[in-house]
Amino acid sequence: MRETLTDLARRAGGLALTMLVVSFLVFLTLELNVEGVAVKVLGQFSTPDQRHAWLSENGYLDPFAIRYLRWLADFVRGHWGTSTYYHEDILKLILPRLGASAILAGGALLVMIPMSLILGVAAGAKEGSALDRSISLVSIVTTSIPEFATAVFLSAVFVIGLGWLPGVSTMAAGLSLRELILPVSVLALASTGYIARMTRASMAEVMAQPYIRMARLKGASPARIILGHALRNALITPVTVIMLQIPWILSGVMVVEVFFAYRGFGTLLYQASLNADVYLVEACAMVSVLAVVVSQTIADLIYVRLDPRLAPGGGRHS
Amino acid sequence: MGETDGLVNLDGGRPHPAAPELLRQLRRGEIGRRDFLRAASWLGVSGASAAAAVGLSACAPVQAPISKDTVRFVCAVQQMTDPALTTWIEASNLFRNCLEFLVEVDADNICRPFLAKSWRPSEDLKTWDFELRDGVRWSNGDAFTTQDVAFNINRWIAPNSKSVNRTAFAALTGIEVTGPLTFRLHLNRPVCSLPEQLYAFTCPMLHRDFERKGADWPKNPIGTGPFSLTDFQVGRQASFRRRDGYWGAPPTLAQIDYIDLGTDISTHVAALAAGQVDILYRVSVAELDLVHRLPQARLIRQQAAQTVVMRMQHDQKPYDDLRVRRAVQLAADNAQMLRLAYRGYGVVGENHHVAPFQPDYAALPAFKRDVAQARHLLAEAGHADGVELKLTLGNTQGRFEQDTAQVLQQNLAEAGIRLKLNVLPASEFWSVWDKTPFGLTYWAHRPLGVMALDLAYRSTSSWNESRFNEPKFDAGLDTAMGLIDPVARSKAMAGLEQILQDQAVMVQPYWAEKFTAVSPRVRNYRAHPSDYFRMDRVWLADA
Repeated sequence: MRETLTDLARRAGGLALTMLVVSFLVFLTLELNVEGVAVKVLGQFSTPDQRHAWLSENGYLDPFAIRYLRWLADFVRGHWGTSTYYHEDILKLILPRLGASAILAGGALLVMIPMSLILGVAAGAKEGSALDRSISLVSIVTTSIPEFATAVFLSAVFVIGLGWLPGVSTMAAGLSLRELILPVSVLALASTGYIARMTRASMAEVMAQPYIRMARLKGASPARIILGHALRNALITPVTVIMLQIPWILSGVMVVEVFFAYRGFGTLLYQASLNADVYLVEACAMVSVLAVVVSQTIADLIYVRLDPRLAPGGGRHS
Repeated sequence: MGETDGLVNLDGGRPHPAAPELLRQLRRGEIGRRDFLRAASWLGVSGASAAAAVGLSACAPVQAPISKDTVRFVCAVQQMTDPALTTWIEASNLFRNCLEFLVEVDADNICRPFLAKSWRPSEDLKTWDFELRDGVRWSNGDAFTTQDVAFNINRWIAPNSKSVNRTAFAALTGIEVTGPLTFRLHLNRPVCSLPEQLYAFTCPMLHRDFERKGADWPKNPIGTGPFSLTDFQVGRQASFRRRDGYWGAPPTLAQIDYIDLGTDISTHVAALAAGQVDILYRVSVAELDLVHRLPQARLIRQQAAQTVVMRMQHDQKPYDDLRVRRAVQLAADNAQMLRLAYRGYGVVGENHHVAPFQPDYAALPAFKRDVAQARHLLAEAGHADGVELKLTLGNTQGRFEQDTAQVLQQNLAEAGIRLKLNVLPASEFWSVWDKTPFGLTYWAHRPLGVMALDLAYRSTSSWNESRFNEPKFDAGLDTAMGLIDPVARSKAMAGLEQILQDQAVMVQPYWAEKFTAVSPRVRNYRAHPSDYFRMDRVWLADA
C-alpha cells in the first residue's frame, strides 16, 4: 500500500515537472519576442508608438523571468486571460470545446476498439489463413493513409459523389449523429488497422504457446481455446497500444475537426495559431500536454494491473 | 441650360463646372462612358441625368419578392468591436447589414447616394457640401442627423485615432455642421474621389452615442440598416434578421446566417455540395475544377485590381543597387507566372501596380523580358557569378502565392540569380511584411490606381513597404489625386507608373481574378470587386 502511494506521488511529481518544463518552453517560444506579442495583439498595422505604449502598460518591459513567473502564477490559479481573437474568457472558451472533442474521440474509440480487437483476434487465431491475410492487407492499407487523405477521399465519395452525408459537421442545430459519421469514420479508419495488427501479433504469439497446444491436445473446442485460454493474455499488448494511441488520436482529431469544421478543441487551437492568439495558444498547448501526460500515466497504471510483473517491487515476488 | 448639357447635381442645382467639360471629352471620344459616369458621380452629378446625357436609361430597380427565406453564408465571423478599426473585409460584410455609409460605390465603381442624398464639391475640390437623406432612423428610434456624421468623422481624424481612416483622410481638416441634415467637409488639398473613399469598409456610420455606450458594437448593435444583429459568436456564427421600420425598401430575405467554417476552402465547397450552405465568400483557383463539375454550385467570376507585389526595399543590400532590382525585374516572366501559378485567370501586370482596367491607368510602352540584359546588369553591379537572394512570403491568400514565387525562382535562375524562398505561416508573415528586404505581399482591390500608389509608395505612408522615397513621385501623387479630368489624370499617372517601373521597385506579375460559388437557388447576388457585398436584394428561388 505504501509502495503504491509513493509510486503515485512519484508519478504526480513527474507529471508536474513535465508540465513545468513544457510551460517554460511554450512561454519562451511565444513571448520571448515582446515586439512580436504586441504585433499579434494589436494587429499588423499598429504603429511602433502604439506597440510601445501597450507593452509598458501590460508589464512587457519587465525581465523575462518575472514575466514568466507572473504568467505561471496566473495560469495555475486559472486566470488564463482573454482570447484576443474570440474576445472571450479563455477558460470558458476551452471547456465546451474540450467536451466536443471528447465526444468525437470517444466516438472514434467506441468504433475502433471493438472492431480492431475482433479483427485482430480473428486474424491471429489462425495465422496464415486467407482471413488473416485479407485482414492484414486492409489494416496495412488503412493505417498507411493519413487522416487528411482519408477525409478528402470519404468526403469525395459520400458527400460530393453520392450525396448521402453532410459535408461539414458544425453541429449548428445541436448534436447530430449524421454529422458525426464522417469524422468518426476517418479517425477510426486511421487507428483500427494498427491496433488490429498489434492484436493479431499478440494473439498469434499466444496461440503458439505450449499451454494452448496442451489445451488443443486435450480436445478443447477452438472457441473455448480462444475465449477461455488465449484472450486474456493476448489483450495485454493491444490495451496498452490503445492507450498509447490516444495522443495520436488527439492529433488526428485536430486534422479531422478542421477538415469538417467541427467546433472542438482542435479547431480552437488551429484558429488560435492562425490568428496569432498568443494567450489562447499558450492555454491550448498546456491543456494538450496535460491530456497527453495524464493519458500516458493512466496507460502505465493499466499496464501494471494487467501484468503484475511490472508493479513496483513486483519483481521480488516472481 | 446649354452649357450644362442637361446635367444636374443630386441636389437639383447646377453641376460642378468640370462636369460639362467631362461630357464634352466623352463626345470627342477622349474618355469612355464609364470614365464619365464615375467622375461625374464623384462630383455629385445625379446618376439619372448623367445616364440620360450619355443615352442610357437609368436601370430599373430589381423587382424582388419579400420572402421568409434564410440564406446561409460561409464567412469568417471575426470580432468587430469597433467597426472603424476593422482590418478585415469579412467583418465589414457582417456589419454592412446593419450599418450604412454616406455614399455607396456599386460593383461598376460608380458612386451612388446612400445616407447622403447629395454632395457638391467647390470648384477647387477642397470644400464639399453634403446633404443627408431625410427620415432615416436608427434602430433605437433616434433620427439620423449630422450630429452622427460629425461624431464619426471627428473620430476618424482625431490625432489619437487608431483607424486607418486617419491615413485615408489625411487631407481632411475638419467637418462643419451647417444644419441638422447638412454639413461641409474641409480639405487642405483637392481630392476628387472623396465620395468614393466614404464607402471604404472602415467608414460605416455609427450612432453618436457609440463611445458613451461602451464602444462595443456587437453588444449594442444600433444601426440604420435593413437588418438587425440577433446572434454573434466569433469563430462560429452570426445571424441577422429583417428589421421593421427600415427607411428604405424592405429587404427580400428574412434572415441571413453567417457560418464560420474555418479557412479550408475545400470544406466550404463540401458544405455547398451537401446543401448545408447557400453562398461561399470566396473560392480559390485551386477549387475551380471541382466547382465547375458540381451541379449544386454556380461559379461567379469577378475582375478585380487585386495583385501580388514582390517588392524590394531600397535601403537594403543588395537591393539598394538599381541594377540588381532592374535585373530581377528583367528576368521575371510575368506572363508565365500568371499562366502557371494562377492558371491564366487574370491580366498580366506591368510592374507598376496600376491595372489596365482601372480608370486612371495609362498605357506605357510594353515591358519586355530580357534575360541577357539582366545578366549584363548583374555583372556590372559586381555579381558576375550571379547573386543569392531571399524572398519572404506567407501564402496569406492561398497557395498560389508560393506557386508564383516558384515560377519566379525558375525565371531568375536563367539570369544566374539563386532565389531562396522563405515561406512563413500567414500570421508570422504579417509581423514582418513591411520589414523583410524582399517580400511578396498581397494587395487588395482599390477602385483607383492612385489609391494603391498613395498607400504603398508615398514616402510618408505607414504602409510603404518598399521604403520607396522619391519626392517627385509624392508631388506627382498630390497632382494626380486632385485631377478630375480623366485625360489629364491619366497623363499624370503615366509619369507615376514610369517612375515606379524605372526604379524597379517591384515585380508585379499579374492581376488575379476573384471567384466564388453559390447555390443555383441564389438570385441577384452580385460579386463586388472590393468584396463589399449587399445582401438586401438577394433572394432564394424555389428549389
